[in-house]
Amino acid sequence: MSDATATTRFRSATEETPLTRWLLVGLGAAGMALLVFAPLIAVFAEALADGWLAAVESLGNRDARSAIQLTLTIAAISVPLNAAFGIAAAWFITKFDFRGKAFLITLIDLPFSVSPVVAGLCIVLMFGTNSLVGGWLVANGYPIVFALPGIVLATMFVTFPFVARELIPVMIEQGRAEEEAALTLGASGWRTFWTVTLPNIRWALLYGVLLCNARAMGEFGAVAVVSGKIRGQTATMPITIEMLYNEYLSVAAFSMAAVLTVLALVTLLLKTALELRHADQLAATHRH
Amino acid sequence: MQTSLPQPTAIEGAAMHIEIDEISKQFGVTAALHPVSLAIPSGALVALLGPSGSGKTTLLRILGGLEFPTAGRVLFDGQDATGLTVQERRAGFVFQSYALFRHMTVFENIAYGLNARPRATRPPKAEIARRVTKLLELIQLPDIGSRYPSQLSGGQRQRVALARALAIEPRMLLLDEPFGALDAKVRKELRQGLRDIHDETGLTTVFVTHDQEEAMELADMVVVMSMGRIEQIGKPADIRARPATDFVRTFISA
Amino acid sequence: MGRPLIHRSPMPGLGLSMGITLTMLSIVVLLPIGALLLKGATFGLGNMWDVVNSERTWAALFLSFRLSLFAALFNLVFGVMLAWVLVRYRFPGRRLLDAAVDLPFALPTAVAGIALTALYAPNGAFGQLAAEIGWRIAYTQYGIFLALVFVGLPFVTRTVQPVIEEIEREVEEASATLGASRAYTIRRVILPMLTPAALTGFALSLARAVGEYGSVIFIAGNIPLVTEIAPLLIVIQLEEFDYDSAAAIGIAMLVISFAMLLAINLIQVWSRRRIGYV
Repeated sequence: MSDATATTRFRSATEETPLTRWLLVGLGAAGMALLVFAPLIAVFAEALADGWLAAVESLGNRDARSAIQLTLTIAAISVPLNAAFGIAAAWFITKFDFRGKAFLITLIDLPFSVSPVVAGLCIVLMFGTNSLVGGWLVANGYPIVFALPGIVLATMFVTFPFVARELIPVMIEQGRAEEEAALTLGASGWRTFWTVTLPNIRWALLYGVLLCNARAMGEFGAVAVVSGKIRGQTATMPITIEMLYNEYLSVAAFSMAAVLTVLALVTLLLKTALELRHADQLAATHRH
Repeated sequence: MQTSLPQPTAIEGAAMHIEIDEISKQFGVTAALHPVSLAIPSGALVALLGPSGSGKTTLLRILGGLEFPTAGRVLFDGQDATGLTVQERRAGFVFQSYALFRHMTVFENIAYGLNARPRATRPPKAEIARRVTKLLELIQLPDIGSRYPSQLSGGQRQRVALARALAIEPRMLLLDEPFGALDAKVRKELRQGLRDIHDETGLTTVFVTHDQEEAMELADMVVVMSMGRIEQIGKPADIRARPATDFVRTFISA
Repeated sequence: MGRPLIHRSPMPGLGLSMGITLTMLSIVVLLPIGALLLKGATFGLGNMWDVVNSERTWAALFLSFRLSLFAALFNLVFGVMLAWVLVRYRFPGRRLLDAAVDLPFALPTAVAGIALTALYAPNGAFGQLAAEIGWRIAYTQYGIFLALVFVGLPFVTRTVQPVIEEIEREVEEASATLGASRAYTIRRVILPMLTPAALTGFALSLARAVGEYGSVIFIAGNIPLVTEIAPLLIVIQLEEFDYDSAAAIGIAMLVISFAMLLAINLIQVWSRRRIGYV
């Protein structure tokens, strides 16, 4: 038996030895450094390899500006549409009882388990010139694939579940009592939604929109398939990064990557702030 | 990591007597226990009685090795046990929430402490099964071995937690609010159950409660605590007849 | 049979919310997937099998699945460890580390791809070090593994973290009072409690990796039969306007994805039945 005197340092029954603790923290930090922090630094280091001026200049040319504009346009269309879908779907699923609810939720989650490239492929097969729908639309002057609508559709496909996923658990937890109270007090359906439901879900909505937006602006695989990669027309920021990188224009590629990285960092910052300040109004899994 | 368990020191059947010598406990700047001293005779059934925040649970956890006193000593059979780790103490501890392992069956829960022993001192499988069966009979639930804790009632869970604590052949039995989570009817039944098990095993038993009726009815000796101090120690009848302080008088008449 | 399709409810907006939900779900997700399946059906099962059964496709599917499995296994171990560290220990920089776990979710895959390549290519910061001991990372299967670990990194940590937070201290203390060492407690009490969540995270990480494209193609080298992943094959077929072959490989990948989705659901049903929680 070990020395059983009062001077033995007490170790809590629910703690590991300090050596184990520091070893685990060290392993975690080292893994994160190699996998996450180093690539983050690499993006900025490569972008600034020829100095600030070269980096900023590379973002100023016509193709780069058009890529930034296109990416903003896509996000501006697809994110509000997906937010509207998310709100409608969450309302339908949480305020009504119907058969097949679990199946509907599975269908909404489906895009998460489909490869982005397969998603793009699906859009091409549905709306491409060879297809029934696509052929008719092209004949009438509305090309979808290799044009903005196709990119928007592909983006919406891969980001489809984001907002609904955030709202459904929150709205289930909040129940229907407040809406029912508003209705008995004579409020109309819309009024109930705007004055009772929306204030209760706004932070969860923002959270979902934030993640949806980050993914929408950064989507590569699905967009690569449907965009046709026409410089100055259908090349989004991620597509432009690929083209510049393949042309060995490293500074230009990484400068544009740095812009998207800043966006990712801002997204993370806002997300963390939401988790800290409005945890009670987010889905339970995001609470700290 | 702990690799060896102490060999049983007490002779089978001879219960241990516990001494608490000037134990105090600070949590940061607040004192949970002012220096308290207490002698628990072997084989006694003792209640630590007091309102929440009186330090009774802290004292129980110090006995079990789950907290370490800021100052003072704990003596088991006259030997200093203050530095013993929780594993070395071999105290059968029953938690207020019972803390059953919900991914294990009742059988696996009760066998846990025996299976956790290093190979040299671990009983063979058949012997473990025999002991678990015996314990299930002792708690009068012989047929629930294959169930999971989520399939049991509150009273059944409490008795399984008791059997699990007894399986390690503990040197003493420590119970934190053993009846706290039960409704009034079940509570009365299980009180007698604890008394029976205590009498059968002869183990020195300490339980924490805030219910004065429970303490008075069940214990041989009651320790009334308030704000980290011991207010009175005595037989239930004595405390009822001669409360030592105003606090004791108001608390036991509540 | 008495159960109605939709229960009567005093809530307003049934028609509108149901209309928007079903219409958008159909246009954006269901009809396009239907178009893929229809393409496959008209191409024929036999023809699809011929495409998938070619050496190159087989190699690509096998490569994608095998490396995804390895990456998900790595993420399973690393993710559980990281979740434990983040919940249980207090150390400087913990919040930063916690926030950084989500970076692979937020960072565009193309950016991750070129950044990892820049680091691990033979002339990159880490690639040079590896080259000195004769180890090539970028443009080999190690590079693909690395990219797949990156994209799957957050899943296990984020599913396991809330479960660790909810473990009652008393359960761990109970194990210790019964004489169990800390290592035994971790092995027999804590890890089994984390298993359902960890497996869910593992399956999510695996599903994500199998379909991953953007972060992989830069670091992979894309040599047919060696470092060519399945999604890239689809892109190549599309660039050659071979829609039939693209659809065949796409359906094969869809089947793999659905099998994994099913596995996730079965894990959850199993754990709920057995332990009463997920």
